[in-house]
Amino acid sequence: MTPQSAGWKTRSSIPAEAGIGLRFQHHQAVLDTRPEVAWLEVHTENYMGGGTPLRYLDAIRRDYPISLHGIGLSLGSAEGIDLSHLERIRRVIERFEPGLVSEHLSWSIVANTYLGDLLPLPMTDEAMDVVCRHVDQTQAFLQRRILIENPSTYLRFAHSTIPEWEFLAAVAQRTGCSILCDVNNIFVSACNHGWDASAYLAALPAPAIGEIHLAGHAVRQLDNGKVLRIDDHASRVPAPVWALYVEALARFGPVSTLIEWDTDIPPLEVLLAEATQAAIHLERIEKRQVHAVGEAHAVAA
Amino acid sequence: MPSLRELQHAVRLSLVEREDSVAASYIIDDGLAPERRLSVYRNTFASNLANALRLSYPAVRRLVGDEFFEGAATIFMHERPPVSAYLDEYGAEFAEFLVHFPSAASLVYLADVARLEWAVNRALHAPDAEPLDVTRLAALEQSDHDRVSFVPHPSVSLLSADCPIDAIWRAVLAQDEMALAAIDLAAGPVWLLVQRLATGVEVARVDEGPWRFAAELFAGRPLGTTLSSAGNLDAPSLLAEHIAAGRFIAFSLDDAAAHVAAPAQENRS
Repeated sequence: MTPQSAGWKTRSSIPAEAGIGLRFQHHQAVLDTRPEVAWLEVHTENYMGGGTPLRYLDAIRRDYPISLHGIGLSLGSAEGIDLSHLERIRRVIERFEPGLVSEHLSWSIVANTYLGDLLPLPMTDEAMDVVCRHVDQTQAFLQRRILIENPSTYLRFAHSTIPEWEFLAAVAQRTGCSILCDVNNIFVSACNHGWDASAYLAALPAPAIGEIHLAGHAVRQLDNGKVLRIDDHASRVPAPVWALYVEALARFGPVSTLIEWDTDIPPLEVLLAEATQAAIHLERIEKRQVHAVGEAHAVAA
Repeated sequence: MPSLRELQHAVRLSLVEREDSVAASYIIDDGLAPERRLSVYRNTFASNLANALRLSYPAVRRLVGDEFFEGAATIFMHERPPVSAYLDEYGAEFAEFLVHFPSAASLVYLADVARLEWAVNRALHAPDAEPLDVTRLAALEQSDHDRVSFVPHPSVSLLSADCPIDAIWRAVLAQDEMALAAIDLAAGPVWLLVQRLATGVEVARVDEGPWRFAAELFAGRPLGTTLSSAGNLDAPSLLAEHIAAGRFIAFSLDDAAAHVAAPAQENRS
């Protein structure tokens, strides 16, 4: 933890329960039906203008804790981060007072061009310095801790020297940021690159995990017989990702968990059913922890 | 070994200009060619930007059909990729692009419909701003009135076209074939005012004279100049209507520096 972080707002209003990603399609349904879900997460970029979306979120915000998930800050850009974008993020934070604010371990902007995707970084000391500098800059500007999410990746650079899990842990350690552990992304990247997903989880520092993401992905069968998994957030969380989630909870304890769905968005009920599934796992881990503490007391007595 | 900056420039070349060779040389094959790995990212780049353009230009898309739209969008995004991740602002130059897009030449009104859609899009996403407090205006000395310049609400814009693009736009979005067939392209020019209201974005037709008067006001010309060039128009009523409709958010006094500073100093003493 950096000494600088002492004055930041760290108290999270996001409970260690299950939430869902809120998209425009469901604004009205959430207001009308007030579904039982612990919290909601929105894309920061969708609330940077004015008008209707902001009024909806103002109204929804009264009943639900909100988390902001950004896709555009491009923390890994060698040429620096876009300060006008950072200022837009600050204004969205000011208006909605989110419990959590997250971005990605990736880059999207070079030569004043936004490349429309979360692009992979080479895992090098240079990239680590760049990311840490930008996380420091962002946290100082926003006066709060942010979370950094591990990406899904489809390629690796030959000159990378640091495993992604070590890179992420080091960024958290150096900047005091938290980690948004996307279990689906770990699964996707592990399958694509032949990594051990369990070892990835084991390498992350449990106290730094501030949020978990769950989503579905596509399995692309390539003509050369190879399989490439693509993180498209367009389906239910598949069984192996649920299994990895259970493993993550066993390591990290109960952590705020989000169901993400961004393409072919289903009716609200489908998202809520997925969140219920996550909530069942969260409850189980809580009970087990209470049980474990009870046993420890018994031994001590 | 490339620097991070070199690597990122190479990836931009690959995604935007389809020049893979440099980026590919940095990537591990591992059973799948680097070029194919890069194409996964290029597909996301293309589909995200095409989606942003589809959201902003639904009527253009219906007018030309999916296939043509995707084709035009693809060329556009590679020629003019976005400069920031705030994609609600992406695509302002699409109308201008369509003017010079050879295969769009047969639909003479296409670029003008695109301009209207961009005005609507801007109105939808413009920042919130409180309308002008009229009591501040009323508190001015009579002698200062000529020096007032208004700041328009960021959602407000004016545009004109040689044919009834507003009718085309409405009919296309409503998929109203009868209305579309009834449109007379030779009916003469239209003068439009676009604004976000609480109920949604309004596209209103106004007469040419009031439109030109509004254009002067929205451009921030001082009231004295605007009124003197208003001719036979009932300028005070038009002005009152703009104010009542919340189309201004502030005003300044031309040559205002000395004027504004004086009372502030009095307050301090």
